[in-house]
Amino acid sequence: MSQSSLRLKPLTLRINGRSYGPVEVPDDMMLVDVLHEYLGLTGTRFGCGQGVCRACTVIVDDEQGPREVRSCITGAHYFEGKAIRTVEGHAKHGADGGLQELSAVQQAFLDHFSFQCGYCTPGFVNAATVLLERLGKQPARDYEREEVRALVLEALNPHLCRCTGYVRYYQAVEELALKLPNVRVRAAAETPR
Amino acid sequence: MRKRRLKRLILWLALIALAWFALDALVGWWYRRGPAVQVTATPAQIERGRYLVAAADCAACHTADGGAPFAGGVPLASPFGVIHGTNITPDAETGIGRYSADDFFHTITRGEARDGHQLYPAMPYVSYKTIRREDSDAIYAYLMTRPAVKQANLANGVGFPFNIRTGIHAWNLLFAGAQARPASQGESPAWKHGEYLVETLGHCGECHSPRGWLGQVDRSRPLAGNDTLGRIAAPDITPQGLAQRGWDRDALQAYLARGLAAHAVASDEMLKVVNLSTSRLEPDDIGAIATYLLGDRPPAPKALAAADASGDGTPAQSRYFALCAGCHGRDGQGVPHVAPALRGNTSVRDPNPHNLIVAILDGLPEHDLPGLERMQEMPGFADQLSDAQVAELSQWLRARYGGQSAQVSGAQVKGLRESGGEY
Repeated sequence: MSQSSLRLKPLTLRINGRSYGPVEVPDDMMLVDVLHEYLGLTGTRFGCGQGVCRACTVIVDDEQGPREVRSCITGAHYFEGKAIRTVEGHAKHGADGGLQELSAVQQAFLDHFSFQCGYCTPGFVNAATVLLERLGKQPARDYEREEVRALVLEALNPHLCRCTGYVRYYQAVEELALKLPNVRVRAAAETPR
Repeated sequence: MRKRRLKRLILWLALIALAWFALDALVGWWYRRGPAVQVTATPAQIERGRYLVAAADCAACHTADGGAPFAGGVPLASPFGVIHGTNITPDAETGIGRYSADDFFHTITRGEARDGHQLYPAMPYVSYKTIRREDSDAIYAYLMTRPAVKQANLANGVGFPFNIRTGIHAWNLLFAGAQARPASQGESPAWKHGEYLVETLGHCGECHSPRGWLGQVDRSRPLAGNDTLGRIAAPDITPQGLAQRGWDRDALQAYLARGLAAHAVASDEMLKVVNLSTSRLEPDDIGAIATYLLGDRPPAPKALAAADASGDGTPAQSRYFALCAGCHGRDGQGVPHVAPALRGNTSVRDPNPHNLIVAILDGLPEHDLPGLERMQEMPGFADQLSDAQVAELSQWLRARYGGQSAQVSGAQVKGLRESGGEY
């Protein structure tokens, strides 16, 4: 088998609202390695390396809207010219770089004690953010409580957490979903018998 | 006057129809009555039956996912509508509890149930026609000593006029009689044994042979492949077809025993076949299957040409690096227990790009292979790649890793994308 020689290609992308590049990056390098080795953004976790655990999930903002992409199995050059968000991009920071405010999802995860070791958390933060942003853009309507729960489960189900914190992740995201102004859930008393 | 004559005619027709149904009901009742049969069989016979049930892969259609063994309920898609595998446990009311060994042999070889109704040819009685009587009796002994499960058979979704089971008599007359010519040349004992395992018990031709417009197996091209039955095509497994994609005896035996060879991972229906049937067979029997498929004098497996580097730096290669190489490797070498090698992969080398295109569009579920082997889920790319992009990527993969230079058209991808919802 002929091992092709290393080839570099210029890469330009937007990460967390800032432009990076052009930098010369090997043509077959996966995004997670570029984040870690070239950009010093080590918050994105490399888990299984097979696209199964979703710890490496980042957000892509393109014409399909915000969506999850697994950075360990997606080549860096796939993101040429695209805008992405990593876990470093959610909280607000002051001019001195100090933390000002966590995002709603991050705060809810803390409030609910959603995680223990935290390795899967960057992926969960991104998945929950995508779900809430997409849900928030839907036309306002009535939802059944079970329906909201099912949406949360569907969105987060592929993400693995080896400390089995799932339930508290789900509770945190469900609480945020129920607070969205366009998601109206009938109070239990009004529900016809 | 004419009106009256018409009235009389209709009356007569109605009477005849009524008499027909009454007779049918009477005959059915006659055949269905009688006591449940108590079978006594030796442990050796039952054990032989268990083995033959695996070889004939009865469970694939008669055991539903998560359902009781052999209690039926498996939906089988056919061009004529959904047909459900039936309950073949010894329950007297809903299963085969009243069948004698004679009834059983008649049913599986002739396609006629004990109560006289015709089975749809989804039941491979045309293949089982040549089953040996002692093998049928052993299968019968095994099935009749399983726990009886009371579970009514599900209604089939076959539409008019194919739901008139009497019509199957005509179908049988036309198509069930023809004797298949062997798919390969041979005369050794292993070849003859393999022929029985492949053509009769394994009923491989039911999926791997082309079919005509009335669903009949094309006897002139046995095992030459069929891409019209399911979403994933059953490839050509004639000696020439296999050798062209690089298969030899060792690779075939590994694939049948473990669902995994350097060339391929068993997927979809074939994964079920491996898990329920071929992986449970003795090495000698697996060897006989390989001998029959390749013939007594197997054609030399075609060597794979060196990787064609002419596609380097093309958009197709960039797309490969972006979306595929993370699991399948920069050089198509794959990752053990995760993703198969694409270099030399049987679907990449197949002259028919059907399965390669379907895999790219739909992805594949995770694979649970015999033993502790596994392969990870593959995501589908239907929502990310256009027809032209899938065609371009397929063509690049085939040229680079499969020695196939034929054009893959966007129209073919479009067709497969649109037919995806039908399965």
